[in-house]
Amino acid sequence: MKDELHRLLDGEAPAAGLSDEARREAESWDRLLAAFRVEAPPASAPPWLESRIMAEIESLPEPGLPGRIRNWLLSPRPVRVSPLTVGLAAAGLTAILLVGRGEPGAWPLPAGGGGSAALASGGGGDPAASVVYVQFALEAPGASSVAVTGDFDAWEGSHALEDLDGDGVWSGRVPVRPGVHAYMFVVDGSSWRTDPRAERYADDGFGNRNAILAVAAPTI
Amino acid sequence: MAATAERTDAQVVRDVLAGDRDAYRLLVRRYGDVLYAHALRMAGSQDEAADLVQRAFISGYRKLASLRDTERVGAWLFRILSNLSKDHLRSPRRGDVSVERLPQLPEGRADPLEAVHQREVRARLHLAMDQLTPEQREAFMLKHVEGRSYEEMAATLDVSVASLKMRVHRAREALQGLLEGFR
Repeated sequence: MKDELHRLLDGEAPAAGLSDEARREAESWDRLLAAFRVEAPPASAPPWLESRIMAEIESLPEPGLPGRIRNWLLSPRPVRVSPLTVGLAAAGLTAILLVGRGEPGAWPLPAGGGGSAALASGGGGDPAASVVYVQFALEAPGASSVAVTGDFDAWEGSHALEDLDGDGVWSGRVPVRPGVHAYMFVVDGSSWRTDPRAERYADDGFGNRNAILAVAAPTI
Repeated sequence: MAATAERTDAQVVRDVLAGDRDAYRLLVRRYGDVLYAHALRMAGSQDEAADLVQRAFISGYRKLASLRDTERVGAWLFRILSNLSKDHLRSPRRGDVSVERLPQLPEGRADPLEAVHQREVRARLHLAMDQLTPEQREAFMLKHVEGRSYEEMAATLDVSVASLKMRVHRAREALQGLLEGFR
């Protein structure tokens, strides 16, 4: 299509200066667009839709203050602590474990990762069975949903991230077993995105790159 | 759905967040028709459109506390619906277009030959639209069927005017080839 025809159809140029060929094309487009408008006429929502929506709303938790409190309590957030505080806390914890159990304490320590997959905390017990909670984050303004998926969840995309403050940054903590894992983000249910801030990548065999996350096994 | 214009959108959002769950009904009434019309143009069937609109309002309710510009809740809901609709179009579960699945239009001419011709034309239009990407389809519908300006579209979808023009232009070029002989 010629630019002059696009400009006319965009409403940015008058029909007066068009060539004969472009004018015929424009008339042809007028007929086509009229057919589209007939095919997709203005429509009103069915009258039962409002009650169906409100019935479902009634079954949901409130999004206001209680919801915000619940979200605040449940959502992970970065915590800044000084190295001195960490050192003192670790020393105190070690002392408690040594005194209380009479043997060295075991806490899974996260390592590696980087980018938008930050390792946060772990669970105790058998190191092989422990999990480390990894904080994933992706900047996706305008998205309606973002999930993270990888070999740690059999690529089922079951870990939805949240953008609670509406700033376009979606985040969430996901339990991951120690090891090296490939992962991807899924935006709006179908758009696969590689973590732009991962430290390592690997080809997925389908022309894309998976982000790679290394999670260290807890030490005893 | 009839419009109710007693409270501003920002007041309604504030009331819902303060615990007045039923106030959300006002938003459903204000924006239900606009969202439904758009969903119908994107999805093509009334059942799918109603389902998309319901999911958009439910998603909006769940995320309402994260909404910053409460005066623009309508555009925000529209963007949620827009994303859901595009996901829906990409879904492999969505069936192909067939004459039987076309939405019903008011009965017009009684001539059976003319009716057959109309059905064929309609099927071609729907089939051609299905060949567009969801983004092209949305931009084309907003521009040429809903009659919105690029500036309105940009403000609603939070996409640049240049990107929207490119989508509409590509949609026209694709349709030109697909509907050759019909125009």
